[in-house]
Amino acid sequence: MFANTKVIKDIIPPKIASAKLHNLALVLFATVMMTIPFGASPYPLTVMVDVGLYSIISMGLILFMGLAGQISLGHAAFFGCGAYISGILTTEYHIAPWLALFLAALITGSIAALIGRLIFRLHGLILAGVTLALNLVFFYLVSSLVDVTGGTMGMMNIPPLSWGQFTSQNLLFNYYLVWIVVILLLVFSLNLADSRAGRALRALNIHAGGSEYAAQVLGVNVTRYKVWVFVLSAVYASLAGSIYAHYTRIIEPNSFMVQSSAMLALMVITGGRSSPWGALLGAGLIVGLRQILRELIPALVGELSGAYELIAYGIILALMLLFLPGGLISLGRRAVPKRESSQDED
Amino acid sequence: MNSATALQIFFSSLNLGSIYAALGLGLFVVYSVTRVLNLAQGEFIMLGGMLTVNFYQVGIPLFVSIVMAIALTILAGLVLYRFFFYPARRSSGATKVFLTLSFAFIVDGIALRVWGWEFRSLPAFFNTQSFQLWGATIFGQTPWVTGITFLMVTGLFLFFGRTIWGKALRACANEPLGARLVGISIERMTLFAFSLAAGLGAAVGALITPLTMTSYSIGLPLTAKGLLAAFVGGITRAEGVVLGGFVYGMIEAVTAGTVPGGYHNVIAPLILAIIFVARRRGLLATSQEG
Repeated sequence: MFANTKVIKDIIPPKIASAKLHNLALVLFATVMMTIPFGASPYPLTVMVDVGLYSIISMGLILFMGLAGQISLGHAAFFGCGAYISGILTTEYHIAPWLALFLAALITGSIAALIGRLIFRLHGLILAGVTLALNLVFFYLVSSLVDVTGGTMGMMNIPPLSWGQFTSQNLLFNYYLVWIVVILLLVFSLNLADSRAGRALRALNIHAGGSEYAAQVLGVNVTRYKVWVFVLSAVYASLAGSIYAHYTRIIEPNSFMVQSSAMLALMVITGGRSSPWGALLGAGLIVGLRQILRELIPALVGELSGAYELIAYGIILALMLLFLPGGLISLGRRAVPKRESSQDED
Repeated sequence: MNSATALQIFFSSLNLGSIYAALGLGLFVVYSVTRVLNLAQGEFIMLGGMLTVNFYQVGIPLFVSIVMAIALTILAGLVLYRFFFYPARRSSGATKVFLTLSFAFIVDGIALRVWGWEFRSLPAFFNTQSFQLWGATIFGQTPWVTGITFLMVTGLFLFFGRTIWGKALRACANEPLGARLVGISIERMTLFAFSLAAGLGAAVGALITPLTMTSYSIGLPLTAKGLLAAFVGGITRAEGVVLGGFVYGMIEAVTAGTVPGGYHNVIAPLILAIIFVARRRGLLATSQEG
């Protein structure tokens, strides 16, 4: 009896201390992110906006892929859904951009709920294949709906988001908008991972030692949780899509093709699926790498960097999978105590 | 719908069906041995087409170009196996799938660097001109695509049914553990499956280039279509994959012939996805879990 208690105490690290450490890291991170713009030139801020947008989608994807252990190769479609719905609502129906952003998230979430209800029975690789195909369907849909979406030419003149005198044509406004959303969603994701729902999702995650059948036996409504986390990840992607559409003000179907979904999977894997922080690391790494190549390649080889970017992504993905399957986050995991320590709650 | 249109749709569905069947079979051979979806299958098709165009444009005769393209693509398949798949042979299925994706990134990048982003085409084989058949217009390359793909699919079936390597492959597909127990080397079969998939993909790529053109970015979308075709028919059986391919071809040809605009690309995969979700073990369902 006593022996057992001792074992449990050994396994479970002191929660309060690690949670405090984690919260401190979070506050520190938020402070740094909010003060970066002071004294920074426009170029790094533009890059950081990209990192933030990719982080938002990747965080959603980490809930789906890391927490629940599913695989999606189609989340660029939800990113596109947000962007196009925002674009259509504001240009065709003259709805205020902020309202459009929330409506887009609502509509994308509903679409995801519908799709989720249909495909929740699929597992692993089969699910990956079907989401990949659905991404293709989305691409051809927006390419074909020429009257509404401008077809392959895309949509232009999407109105910017605004707050008082600031609009999303202002770089600082974009920076703060994107990174405030990132931090809010990060806090939400971290808490979710540590909540009853998070534990239920981990219980059905075969990659985390769970099992759908076992989870069901324990009273977890597997269907509901799987659909629900799918919807949540779609809403993350939709928010990023809307912000992206109002920020760049031009969208075209190619940005939401299967290759973009592959990029998102790349970020999630290089960053690490085990924590929402992985999304930020992955997005930072890949966007950083992209920017470095865009600077270096023209100077060194005298040509555009597109091809070299693809090759570098492939090499990084392969190296990560072979030598650091847990992603960048797993490096930090060795140093910092885990936060996932609340099995004793409830 | 008059009879000429119906005939046109019929020929078109045979043509698309044979392409999707071959696409699905490429995925099937790798899946059957490894239980992994090879996301780089479309890249083999892209490589086959692009390499053929490349050799043809420097003056090498078309059929020699095709043979060289197939040989080089098989080499790429071996690279995928040896440097991506083999080092991760003890990893999870998801890791292996993402490794094939990393290979696809690298191949796309190299193709973009070497050939640029432009779409490229080839003349129809033997310079066959478009012709009329009972009122339907047939593009010169179509009969070659349909005919040769048909032969390849039939050849594969004879191979699966009649040869020891084919039977070994089927054994791996049906009962991996049992196959190992009777002395089939999974590693050799995997190597073989990757070369077969690459060669098949390259041949399809060379065949369809005069019809659809090719560029560095066609790979992943083609893989997605092939996956749907294979899933619908049931990826665990070659017959299922071929059936799925023809079902996909038929649905796409019918919607392309009846719905204006590019909507056939939306409707056909959507119908396939719905069929698949409704009948998850494939159209040729057996008691075996897929």
